[in-house]
Amino acid sequence: MSALEFDHVSFSYAGATSPVLLDVSLEVPEGAFALLVGDTGSGKSTLLRLAKPEIAPAGKLGGSVRVFGTDPRELGAQASARAVGYVFQSPDAQIVCDTVWHELALGLENLGAPEPEMRRRVAETCNFLGIEPWFRARTAELSGGQRQVLALASALAMRPRLLLLDEPTSMLDPLAEKSFLSLLFRANRELGVTVVVATHTPWSMAGYATCALAIEGGSVRAVPLAEVATEAPLCVPGRDRSRVVARRPPSARSSRPNDQKHPVFLRKVVEKARPMTESPVADTEKDAMLADDVWYRYDRDARWVLRELDLAVGEGEVRALVGSNGCGKSTLLATLAGVARPARGRVRNGLAASQALLPQAPKALLSCETVADELMAWSRVGGYGRAEVADALARLGLEDAADRHPYDLSGGQQQLLALEKLLLVRPRLLLLDEPTKGLDCAERERVARRLAEVRDDGATVLLATHDMGFVRAVADRVSLMFDGGITCTEPTDEYFANSWLW
Amino acid sequence: MAPARPTPFDSWHVAVPATLFAGTALLSMLAVQPVLVALSLGGAFAFSLLSRGVRATARGLAWQLPLLALVCVLNPFFSASGSTLLFKVGPRSVYAESLAYGATMGALLVATVLWFEGAATALTQDRLLALSGRRARALPIVASMASQLVPQMLGRAKTARATVAACTAAGRRPGLRDELTRTSTMLLAWSLEDSVERADVMRARGWESGRPRTSYRLERLRRRDAAALVGIAGLLVACAACAWQLCATWRFYPTMGELGPWWAYAPWVVLVTLPSLEQVSQRGTGSNWDTPAVSQFEPVPLWDTRPTRKGGIR
Repeated sequence: MSALEFDHVSFSYAGATSPVLLDVSLEVPEGAFALLVGDTGSGKSTLLRLAKPEIAPAGKLGGSVRVFGTDPRELGAQASARAVGYVFQSPDAQIVCDTVWHELALGLENLGAPEPEMRRRVAETCNFLGIEPWFRARTAELSGGQRQVLALASALAMRPRLLLLDEPTSMLDPLAEKSFLSLLFRANRELGVTVVVATHTPWSMAGYATCALAIEGGSVRAVPLAEVATEAPLCVPGRDRSRVVARRPPSARSSRPNDQKHPVFLRKVVEKARPMTESPVADTEKDAMLADDVWYRYDRDARWVLRELDLAVGEGEVRALVGSNGCGKSTLLATLAGVARPARGRVRNGLAASQALLPQAPKALLSCETVADELMAWSRVGGYGRAEVADALARLGLEDAADRHPYDLSGGQQQLLALEKLLLVRPRLLLLDEPTKGLDCAERERVARRLAEVRDDGATVLLATHDMGFVRAVADRVSLMFDGGITCTEPTDEYFANSWLW
Repeated sequence: MAPARPTPFDSWHVAVPATLFAGTALLSMLAVQPVLVALSLGGAFAFSLLSRGVRATARGLAWQLPLLALVCVLNPFFSASGSTLLFKVGPRSVYAESLAYGATMGALLVATVLWFEGAATALTQDRLLALSGRRARALPIVASMASQLVPQMLGRAKTARATVAACTAAGRRPGLRDELTRTSTMLLAWSLEDSVERADVMRARGWESGRPRTSYRLERLRRRDAAALVGIAGLLVACAACAWQLCATWRFYPTMGELGPWWAYAPWVVLVTLPSLEQVSQRGTGSNWDTPAVSQFEPVPLWDTRPTRKGGIR
């Protein structure tokens, strides 16, 4: 019997003019680990939710959806909650309770399970997933990865036969992602739970998968696993040339107004000639930012987050900060931005008067009612107008969404919008915290292209990220952070050539 | 990260510390008699040192002691009564009795605060919620969501304001009023957005599925808990009776009264030292076993992730 079956399913949202799903037919056999790939907005979430009537979107559904041979709408809330588990994308929003044990028990409490049965299931789930050490912890203390594992555990505690996951790892760092996937894989193989994962990074889980489905233009086709098993490198036009340029001081390639009077060919000649006359090692005077023996901690009793940290970022450089979760990357950005004051040491930021910070959560930057207002928010200071905003909207592909609330956009679109809002004021220093978190391939490429443009414009960029593909595509140099300090800094190619891991 | 302090009264059902602390705090507030107040203060201070540590207690005392002194010094100026004249400040006479009354009230205030702070270490929110009746089954969920919301919103507000402060390219920081409006609007929208997803999460896990909810109780009331409760109740009654007697014979004005027989203080001494005794006795309960060290927040171990075809066990 198939665990999940769609037969000529079409769906359009209430009030929408065009359908999201046109003619979807698919079959996921029981015990399978199926990947569902497709771009943002292609209807992956809609498709998954149609199999879970409690959270299915309102709209017009045609064709038939079957879960283990039955229409899920006929199952009723209880049977559906038992048979089908659902794991959401956001590690923050999908935790309901404030303690781990309560979160695990919530679903069973809702179903009115008797206490002995509840204890047994919670205990077994904890055993299986290895979360006993933090069984009594508060959920607020958990890392993003632990939260997602808890969400998986809460779904598994109800012993579902089919588990649907919507981008479960897109907000996680690579290590947490691997931990999560290995647990998901074990649930699939050892407990026989059928798994369907919607993802835009199928290569990270292709090793576990038994089949892959691609959703395109409202219909679904089966694709061979080999096709999704490798990550396509990000394609950024002019990348190689710009990296050569980036090694030079920005004064040589700035396109700020005072440079515009020289003809382009002359500037190119100057650019070409400059490396011959200048020493290859950037001296400290040209550094845009300098951190010297910086120590930082959040509280007097807390551990040091940054210790003995030395960092120099050259003007006009795109520098990537890489390192595991919690090694202090975000704290370093805040310190360099002047938001956090170091307990010891010195930070010098020559571009402090014209800097912009993109936080991990783009919502922290979005405060207006519409997308267009959001981009217009800083127009007076930035000296731009409606025309530039219209261009920006076109770049984002959001011409139609100008009047929508920013929160109605997808997570990736919000990220791009926040970045565009920053870029409109043309900051000379751009600090980016995980700029590609939760983005699909096309969106990552878009961010990479924008950064390339910004660098060509002479701005300095410092970005903290886990996304090595992105680092390869945009960074001039890479600094590895570890234990609160900078372990090494190398040009990107050299860094990857010397790296044992990447 | 320093290991978290163990929760006091961890090995007892939450009803035991709840009764003990509620009774102690209540009696301490009602018994206005210098010796009783002093004993209560001593007990609360000792328990605070044991449960919250020297540093946290000292930090608290930094404002509590000045408060005590202030109440003590100010009282003679508000109620100038008594018989032993100490000195005169302008037209006001300062009597020893009114100074003593002020000191007692100040100490009572500090003792009560210390008892509440100590109780908070033992009665964590989830433990307290377990006491809620079977009828209020949704209450723990609501309280638990609310308790997450406040720190989350504060954290987000901090992020949002730091972001604005960091974006110097966008001009000067907006005025305080503008910034507060902006931040609060944003936080509201953000939380509402989260709540939409959280509602989906709850529905997906069978919320309002039609069945009456049951509840998972982390702690069960055992026989020794019941015995402890009976013992504490008895002790509280004895304390109340003795305190009643002592307070009846005691007066501040015009001259201070009798302190009463020493044995009338015995139940009170037991009551206020009980929390500390429990703490001290728990310290000795660790075994000599060489237990494997497991950090509470150890990341999930990575299992061998190579695909192995193993049949389902169902």
